[in-house]
Amino acid sequence: MRSGTNGQPRRRAAECAGLLAVLAALVALFAALSDRFLAPETFLTIANQIPDLVVIAVGMTLVLVSGGIDLSVGSVMALGASLLGVAMTDHGWPAGAAALVAASVGLGCGLVNGVISVGAGIPSFIVTLGMLEIARGAAYLATRSQTQYIGPAIEPIGAPLPVLHLSPAVLAALALVAGGQFILSRTVLGRHLVAIGSNESAVRLSGIDPRPPKIAAFAISGLLSGLAGVFQSSRLSAADPNGGVGLELAAIAAVVIGGTSLMGGRGSVVNSFIGVLIIAVLQTGLAHVGATEPAKRVITGAAIVAAVLADAARHRWAAADLWRRLRRAVPATAMPADRL
Amino acid sequence: MNRAPYVPAALAVLLSIAGCSRQESPPAIQGPGPSKPKIALIMKSLANEFFATMAEGARAHQQAHADRYELIVNGIKDERDLARQVALVEDMIAQGVQAIVIAPADSKALVPVLKRARDKGVVVVNIDNRLDADVLAAASVRIPFVGPDNRAGARKVAEMVAARLQPGDKVLVLEGIRTSFNGQQRRLGFEDAVRAAGLVIADSQSAQWEMNIASQIASAMLNAHPNAKAILAANDNMALGALASVRAAGLSGQILIAGFDNIRAVRQAIRSGEILATADQHADQLAVFGIEYALQILSGAAEPSDRETPVDLITSANVGE
Repeated sequence: MRSGTNGQPRRRAAECAGLLAVLAALVALFAALSDRFLAPETFLTIANQIPDLVVIAVGMTLVLVSGGIDLSVGSVMALGASLLGVAMTDHGWPAGAAALVAASVGLGCGLVNGVISVGAGIPSFIVTLGMLEIARGAAYLATRSQTQYIGPAIEPIGAPLPVLHLSPAVLAALALVAGGQFILSRTVLGRHLVAIGSNESAVRLSGIDPRPPKIAAFAISGLLSGLAGVFQSSRLSAADPNGGVGLELAAIAAVVIGGTSLMGGRGSVVNSFIGVLIIAVLQTGLAHVGATEPAKRVITGAAIVAAVLADAARHRWAAADLWRRLRRAVPATAMPADRL
Repeated sequence: MNRAPYVPAALAVLLSIAGCSRQESPPAIQGPGPSKPKIALIMKSLANEFFATMAEGARAHQQAHADRYELIVNGIKDERDLARQVALVEDMIAQGVQAIVIAPADSKALVPVLKRARDKGVVVVNIDNRLDADVLAAASVRIPFVGPDNRAGARKVAEMVAARLQPGDKVLVLEGIRTSFNGQQRRLGFEDAVRAAGLVIADSQSAQWEMNIASQIASAMLNAHPNAKAILAANDNMALGALASVRAAGLSGQILIAGFDNIRAVRQAIRSGEILATADQHADQLAVFGIEYALQILSGAAEPSDRETPVDLITSANVGE
């Protein structure tokens, strides 16, 4: 298990610095290419666009760290938004109650994902793939496949506050990033998730039941997806049953750019957040320079691969370094190679 | 502390790719001229040939009039990526453009963000898919629409089909996304012609503007209504989907198919007789009409009000190359 006590915070800080350097380089690049990019308005616009992806990335980080995957996030977000839209437009519910519905449905979907995949021992890839279809279908069903235009009633959550120029959704998303990082690095649940992702049998052999933490990770991911639906519909003033198609891939890309391992056992919520920022800056920057759609996709794809390559190189270097130091410390003993 | 050797290399790659893409839109590199307005064209899916043609027409127009304005063209990945299109409008406001010419992905949900653009003094011109009049009125914002009469165009196409059929014959309709104004207008146009000719619409379903969905739905419709005589599709992508399912059902030549948009693949199918008719709303000029109008409003030469652009019926008689 890679849960070094002293090295980890330092390594995480180093990773964070590396990601921030990439982010700064991207900003500098687009500032050079477009005369209006380097303006406060650009960054406030980006900030107010991303709360949905940010909270989904928080949940995705927890799931990936535990060695699972949640492909249903985009559809669950659309389902949450759809039910919120239907509750408000067809039934005249207040925004708060409708938002509660969206979050509860998300939590429910997450629990179903967790209980089925963990309880029956089915890979989460396939269970959440099923949920991706189910939730999308349910969203179409609830809305009769029509965009629900809600209007000003839902806008306060997504509209920028005076003075601060950030929306309540952004502030909530930031708080959830902090909360997610706290869970991951400062709570028993978080440590268990990391341990399960590293070596589940070792966890079981040390007398810890790995099932409750794993289910909890899926439940959190579902809850946050439902919440993302609230954020998105507040920004759009509408609930879009087609919303979030492919969002799971954007979230996974952001989380992996942030250095979380797809194999589990390693990850950071804060770094996932920076991963989201990198993707958002890339998207907005490319829109500013008016890059063609094919160029946008090629560049975004290349950026994802480049970020993961950089991460892999850093870890190979760190592993080699650790190996050297261990050899120096215990020359005669054979040590197991650290997992990359 | 950052020892990642790949980061500089990765950025170099990014820079070079970005450099390539920049050559396609050179005007954005130059600083803004003193009086040269910057216009953002925000499209729906640029993967859809119809919108790609529109964007190409706009780029060509800008190159021919590079002294008059700068152009930034953006689109979304697929027709339904509503959130991304709203984000693009926000990005373009932040970019400081003087005018936004937009083909909205949704006729209602884009209104709030376009109102924000208007509030910041950005000229907004609506093309292709008309914004919902009620929502515009509720938001108390006026946005001029420049575009074709889709209902009249769809009626012309359906009349062409009706001329080959007998009263009482059954036809099938593939609708676009039901929230879209274009989709609604084209369906109404089909209905006008069908009613006038005494035909019967046996089934009418939305295929979301997409070929693959259209072929699945058309196959199911053909199974359910084996005596149907024609399929009216609200765009050419769906007409091609219908054509695929007609071929798969072994009914080639027995079912008349009509589309809307006049894309190249459908022109080929019209020449080979597999598709009967489509409507040309001069896609390459639609964005240009909007841009020209935005320029007129910016220079104070025009008041914001709706404008109609031409729609022509295309059949084997006038399909051309």
